[in-house]
Amino acid sequence: MRVSFFVTCLGDRFFAEAAADAVRLLRSLDVDVDFPRNQTCCGQPAWNAGHVPQAREMAAHTAAVFADADYLVLPSGSCTAMLRRTYPRLLESPAVADRSYELAEFLVDVLGVTELGRGLEGRRLAYHHGCHALRELGVAEQPMRLLESAGADVVPWEMDQECCGFGGLFSVKNPEVSVAMADRKLDTLPHVETVVSADGGCLLQLEGRARRRRMRLRFRSLASVLWEARRGNE
Amino acid sequence: MLPQAAEPPWAFGDAGGADPVGAFEHRFRAAGGEVVRLTGEAVARGWLDDFAGEFETVSVCTGVPDALQPALPPAPPSQAALGVSLAVGAAAQTGSLLLSSREGRQPQLLPPVHLIWVRAREVRPTLGGALQAHRENLPAVLALHSGPSKSADIGQILVTGVHGPGRVIAAILGADA
Amino acid sequence: MSSHDYRARARRIIEETPEVREAVTAATRTFVDHRRDAYADLDEIALSGWAEQVKSHVLTHLGDYLEEAEARLVERGAHVHWAETASDVHQIFERIVREHGVQKVVKAKSMLSEEVALNPFLESLGVEVFETDLGEYIIQLLGEPPSHIVGPSIHKSLDDTRVIFHERLGTPRDASPERLAQAARGLLRDQFITADLGVSGGNFLVAETGSIALIENEGNIRLSTSVPRIHVAVVGIEKVLPRWADLSTFLQVTAKSATGQPVGCFVSIIPGPGGSPAGEPDGPEELHVVLVDAGRTRLLADPKVWEALRCVRCGACLNICPVYRQTGGHAYGYVYSGPIGAVVAPGLVGLEETLPLPFASSDCGACADVCPVRIPIPELLHVWRQRAVERGLSSSEERSVLSLWASFATRARLFGWAENVAGLVPQWVIRRLPMLRDWSSGREAPPADGRTFRELWDKGIK
Repeated sequence: MRVSFFVTCLGDRFFAEAAADAVRLLRSLDVDVDFPRNQTCCGQPAWNAGHVPQAREMAAHTAAVFADADYLVLPSGSCTAMLRRTYPRLLESPAVADRSYELAEFLVDVLGVTELGRGLEGRRLAYHHGCHALRELGVAEQPMRLLESAGADVVPWEMDQECCGFGGLFSVKNPEVSVAMADRKLDTLPHVETVVSADGGCLLQLEGRARRRRMRLRFRSLASVLWEARRGNE
Repeated sequence: MLPQAAEPPWAFGDAGGADPVGAFEHRFRAAGGEVVRLTGEAVARGWLDDFAGEFETVSVCTGVPDALQPALPPAPPSQAALGVSLAVGAAAQTGSLLLSSREGRQPQLLPPVHLIWVRAREVRPTLGGALQAHRENLPAVLALHSGPSKSADIGQILVTGVHGPGRVIAAILGADA
Repeated sequence: MSSHDYRARARRIIEETPEVREAVTAATRTFVDHRRDAYADLDEIALSGWAEQVKSHVLTHLGDYLEEAEARLVERGAHVHWAETASDVHQIFERIVREHGVQKVVKAKSMLSEEVALNPFLESLGVEVFETDLGEYIIQLLGEPPSHIVGPSIHKSLDDTRVIFHERLGTPRDASPERLAQAARGLLRDQFITADLGVSGGNFLVAETGSIALIENEGNIRLSTSVPRIHVAVVGIEKVLPRWADLSTFLQVTAKSATGQPVGCFVSIIPGPGGSPAGEPDGPEELHVVLVDAGRTRLLADPKVWEALRCVRCGACLNICPVYRQTGGHAYGYVYSGPIGAVVAPGLVGLEETLPLPFASSDCGACADVCPVRIPIPELLHVWRQRAVERGLSSSEERSVLSLWASFATRARLFGWAENVAGLVPQWVIRRLPMLRDWSSGREAPPADGRTFRELWDKGIK
């Protein structure tokens, strides 16, 4: 089984190590991973802000880069949603749309993984469901299952499905409301030290606010935590 | 394409089909209303005399039979302590009593306490069914009363009796007590 | 009030009156919980699918259904007026006021009446207007517009109400909610009895029987439409339902979506005037129904956004919206706020006039999950955003940044190079760059000085 990895622009710049963990994780499951070098950005920031021509340009570029991929795996719910749900509206029959998966979704739904290992035994964490993964892809069960089967105690969090306030350019066009939304999330966190999410934008937003407020929290990408779940075996 | 009108019963969960009076009572109480079940007019008369004792005056809608009118001095609706009306239908699904304006509206609205008589056999399972019976013969207003007047507009705290009656009693006639 | 100031108003509300955010958050959370409970045992998907179909059908045959409704109403002796603009509505009211020497009006809550600024107009004619919905009454005393479709005063606390009631009604400073409600009841009761005219909106207008349906919990609508000798209902043309048999489901769905109740405490279904013309003991002898367009046919003719007209004004989208609950409705500068406001305002009033409302959303999609008539709000937001860009209404700064971004993103080497360069820019510079400055006002900037994934890949990932 061979997959093409789409690291995403945020992943490339801000979550490189986590993206590397995703690759390590896939390889440990006997998946061959290639990395088409010409990949850049899926185009979501432009699409979100209503700039369709620019979004289309980037979509066309991405579709071309991954034209030969059997599967695309992304460490991001929102970028996956962009490819699956929006590319068909921007391009004519984009093959990438049906072949794109968020990491946890790929592991569970395609590879059929039910348990990665026991590397998270005794770890208490809170999981933030990014809106795109949750509502556009319907991905919620998969990360939960992988985390819990690895022994993690995913602590119930009443606001875990509420938007963190990132929303792409929304975060800088309406910063006060965006920050207030991040505060709602952070103020309602149960007693944990670690918050996990599958979306880079959400992590930047929540961690950025938490650090400004000097809150004692660690923010980790789902990819890294899942790699830890697996690595614990070795 | 316009889909069929009547909502499928399953779409609204249990609409009290098996025991409409019981379901009505449950919902009316849940909304803060009071319910009393009276097997027949004789029992009703006894209960009414008892109940009316706490009120000084009454305003009665025209449709209420003499036997079901409390023996109290009448007063205009804006001054009466108690208003009495006769429902022209009821729905278990929503805990609603149907009231007709043909019998006067003000006694249903102005007194702080409202007693509504309803016959057990008129309690339909669904709201749609209850409304359907009136389609051909609508009064100037067909009203649904499903509990006492209430509001949470003041600091999100629930208060009753804001404009309409704060206390409403559904007296079901011909029901097993 | 203008929508253009959304960001500034939102900021002021969050920073200067934090209690508003608390009050709105608490109120909307309660609505959300109750709604969830109400739908727990129901097939929500079947219900919303059905309601969507009925509403879409009626909207695509609106002219026919409106004519049917008018014919039924006229048969019963009601006066039917057609108003294309707010000004038309004013003129109709002016005629009625002058003809009947109206001096006092009791008003039931009507968002449409806010749209057409009815109260100020009536007052300009020397008419005394009393809002009778408790929430509307509170904000009328405060001189504020409503901040939520269903609960106009949810942004106000118990203390706020105590203060204004003490000032205007003389209640004690520490009056209980019951005491405050009783004070309002007493004062407004007199108004119901002495008013010349009662004004209501309309939740639905059933075409088959020409019947207006009004939903409430307090009883003020029943009183406003029963005691005065004239009743005028202002009804948006999109409120039509085709059949009598559709009404029961829509009444229940609206109540469940709004507050989680099986149905509102009082529902008035009105096919015509009352009183002696109808052979009834009481009730208004004249019923006027004003069918109002105010931008609706324009919105209806728009193939990409007409679905917003299915709205039944339940407020569920406002309640679930994580953006709305940080500020309440006043930040939006329009009578309809929250998600539905953001998609309807540009259609009814114009996109330029209502920017940046379609951008006052983080795109989370929660609203679409709760809409009982399946309005695809996130899609509609996107339509308006695209149009804003196409019409040149986006900032030049944003256009430049995104064009630059796109040109880099279609040239892989350039993109990689730019990422590396970005990593070299010091934090203190980043914090001052236009868009990034707005990030840093409340958040730490992410560290960008490590290696990129590309570099890790090139080195070999072990």
